[in-house]
Amino acid sequence: MTEIRIENLSKDFDGFLAVDDVNIAIPFGELYSFLGPSGCGKTTLLRMIAGFEIPRSGRIVLGEQDITDLPPYKRPVNTIFQNYSLFPHMTVFDNVAFGLHIRKTPREDIRAQVHKMLALVKMEDQASKYPAQLSGGQKQRIAIARALINEPKVLLLDEPLAALDLKLRQHMLIELMNIHDAVGITFIYVTHDQSEAMSISDRVAVMENGRIVQSGPPDDIYERPASIFSAYFIGETNLFSAEVVGLEDEYVQLKCDSGDGQSFEIDSTFHFTPVLGQKLTVSLRPEKIAITRGKPGNQDDFNVLRGTIEDILYLGTHTQYIVKVGKLRVRVFSQHKRVYFDEKALDWEEPVWLFWHDTDTWLINEIHEPDQGNINPESVGSIQRGKRAGAN
Amino acid sequence: MSRKTALTRKSLEAQALRKRNISSYLLTLPALLWLLVFFLIPYFIVLIYSFLTPGTYDVKFTFTLDAYRQIANGSYLRPFFLAFRLAFFTTVICLLLGFPVAYYIARAKDKLRNTLLILIIIPFWTNLIIRIFSWRIFLASEGVLNSVLLKLHLASQPLELLRTDLAVILVMVYVYLPYMILPLYSVLEKLDFTLLHAAMDLGANEARAFFSITLPLAVEGIFAGALLVFIPALGAYLIPQLVGNQQSLYVGQVITYKIKNIPRNWPMASAMSFTLLLLVALLLLVMYYLYRRRLRSRTY
Amino acid sequence: MLRMSQLKRTYQGLNLTLFTLVMVFLYIPIVILVIYSFNDAKIVTSWKGFTLNYYLRLWENDAIKEALRNTLLIAGLSTFISTVFGVLAALGLENKRFSGRKGLLALIYTPLVIPDILMGVSLALLFNFTRVNTGMLTVLIAHITFCVSYTIIVVQSRLEGFDYSLVEAAMDLGAKPAAIFMKIKFPLMLPGIVAAALLAFTLSIDDFIITFFTSGRGFDTLPIYVEGTIRRGAITTINSLSTLMIAFTLFLVVVTKRVRKTLISSL
Repeated sequence: MTEIRIENLSKDFDGFLAVDDVNIAIPFGELYSFLGPSGCGKTTLLRMIAGFEIPRSGRIVLGEQDITDLPPYKRPVNTIFQNYSLFPHMTVFDNVAFGLHIRKTPREDIRAQVHKMLALVKMEDQASKYPAQLSGGQKQRIAIARALINEPKVLLLDEPLAALDLKLRQHMLIELMNIHDAVGITFIYVTHDQSEAMSISDRVAVMENGRIVQSGPPDDIYERPASIFSAYFIGETNLFSAEVVGLEDEYVQLKCDSGDGQSFEIDSTFHFTPVLGQKLTVSLRPEKIAITRGKPGNQDDFNVLRGTIEDILYLGTHTQYIVKVGKLRVRVFSQHKRVYFDEKALDWEEPVWLFWHDTDTWLINEIHEPDQGNINPESVGSIQRGKRAGAN
Repeated sequence: MSRKTALTRKSLEAQALRKRNISSYLLTLPALLWLLVFFLIPYFIVLIYSFLTPGTYDVKFTFTLDAYRQIANGSYLRPFFLAFRLAFFTTVICLLLGFPVAYYIARAKDKLRNTLLILIIIPFWTNLIIRIFSWRIFLASEGVLNSVLLKLHLASQPLELLRTDLAVILVMVYVYLPYMILPLYSVLEKLDFTLLHAAMDLGANEARAFFSITLPLAVEGIFAGALLVFIPALGAYLIPQLVGNQQSLYVGQVITYKIKNIPRNWPMASAMSFTLLLLVALLLLVMYYLYRRRLRSRTY
Repeated sequence: MLRMSQLKRTYQGLNLTLFTLVMVFLYIPIVILVIYSFNDAKIVTSWKGFTLNYYLRLWENDAIKEALRNTLLIAGLSTFISTVFGVLAALGLENKRFSGRKGLLALIYTPLVIPDILMGVSLALLFNFTRVNTGMLTVLIAHITFCVSYTIIVVQSRLEGFDYSLVEAAMDLGAKPAAIFMKIKFPLMLPGIVAAALLAFTLSIDDFIITFFTSGRGFDTLPIYVEGTIRRGAITTINSLSTLMIAFTLFLVVVTKRVRKTLISSL
């Protein structure tokens, strides 16, 4: 099967290394995302695949064909641009027909194919309109139809949903997945929005400073982040600086710094072999932590912590608690304000118990810099995501 | 399989850049050559002619500083003085009249705004000479204004309105007003009027608000408008010729007479043209300096 | 709040009054001219009754017809040539890294900030110095010279806002550079080109002073003819001629509005 292979690809702009020695192979038919904050090089990478940028070194191979130095108009790939880039002086029909028109396809064939494409994106009745008369979502559909009509081997999507509002974005996301299933070609999707990437992709490559720091299926990246950056950029997490104080067959004992000179001990399973005395970082997703007023009973295989509620944020789908443990602020997502039916809701300043299973922690073989912070009290749920993305 | 090295790719990029540069040269070449031959070089000829000796129909190619000597000793001071006076008054009156108009249009509703702009532009598109001519009809001693004044017994005999310095200023203002209104409008249109409200909300009265908010923000428009009115006014010929009198000759008229009328004095016309050119350049430099200083002092 | 709305009203009331006065000022001479073109009197004194006589006389006047023909010929040719130059130069100036860009821009902008009369004088002397006989050719050269800066600037300012991603989109869809220019770039430049051409046409028709210096005897454009007639005091036909020219201006305004609207609506 045709796959796209990127080998040792680098690109610099006047000395600034935008893409740094990227190697990746994308199997045919996958929906593959490049995810990262703005300036991480994901768009440059996409533009090199499209042919808009000349790489400094490395190559791009599509199936058997080296396309590194081909001009854009000779590549069997098409792009969905961030602002759609529909031709303002052409009707919807002419926009979609453009690629075929250039290839001098017979008129009747063009008509038939355009209508088929417009049907695919549910825009059959808009053929004679001009782009200025369309809504954002409609423009998006036309951009997709205009690209897909050329039967590319790969479709490149550059932040295709960034300009749409939230509701439409969710809708178009499902639509895109359906279109991907219908045409069955490779989609390469670039976004800074981790929830978009997580929900739509077969696989995700997380990028930072021009490099791919981790790639794999979304759940893999979420559950098993390879770096602090991955853990922090995708979803939300609590990070503890820890030192290995005990090694068992199944788990390690860790001494975590609570920031006030004190420390607490937790147990964790591990996926690499730590050595005694090693310093590392523990990632603990907020939704893995249970929060109760009463002391939990069976404590085998569970870690238990004592803390005080500093803040409660009701978010509809769940409630977020900020719990102070020493000087650390631990974030906890809980779907019930009352953990037991006879219990009254947890309140500000209340002392609480936090507990989670040993397997829910994830060890990262990096040292957590304090200035990266554990929790910024203001950053909550989607707002936090928006903030990181907001730099775009 | 082509596996290009970093080095060859870099030189490819440089080559593409060079190619673009060459095509830029080729594309701009016709305009460049045209402006060199028919705009820039003629000024050198003006400079050369200003040092020659006048003949009745042509010039004699003998070097002399006569023309500049006459300008320097003040024989031709009055036409320059008149031109600057005219340009000054025209600019000031255009600004005073144009500002409220531009302000009014900028604050009008969107739909109305375009109509109002068209209303300003129509006279501007009407042939210059026709507009001047229509003022002659209006101002002539047997013209419209005088007959109205006589009928209303506001005057006992026809007033001498045409062929006065005042008439020249009036028609200059009439012709150049749109040149002032349009740039003023384009800055006022972008002005954030909530600032004005904020200032008034903070207790500034309307005059204060105008002088501390509106005016400073509109300065760019005032600069542009003043430039568009003052400079052409310096070289005015047609308006003084058609509505002015022969006692007040402006520099444009004198230059034209020296070129067109016999006995010709092309060296004199050239010297005056060159002097005018230098004065304009000086003026532009001063304006540019003031503008730059304003930009630098701006802190927002 | 009350105080503010009151202020606003005084403000607007004052502005409205001034605006109306300025409008009256701008239109009174034109209106009078139009009315008097139908006046049955030899000189403009008072109303002597309605007539179309002067329009008929206009039609019989060969000198006027010749001047009109000259004007349109010069305007048409200078518009065409200066617009072509303008489009080419604007495309060349699009390349921001182009090494001669700054100097060229200075050369393009300078004619706009120098009094017209100086261009007239310098061209007159150029043609004298090179012993070129003044006439149609010299007038044409002069008109192209003062139009070309404007056409370059108008086309260039339109290109400034050009969305380059459209070119990338076309490339992406398989279009080669030539096809991209013909199908994307040129159509999108067209409103700017039309605007530039209209401006050049208006400037050319309107020009008196530069033509005055560069036309020889026997080659009159309308403004030259009108000025000469006024100077000789034989003004009877000028009213009606002027009215027709005003009507032409209005026609041009309506047409350009229509043209702009259709062009803009297609964007």
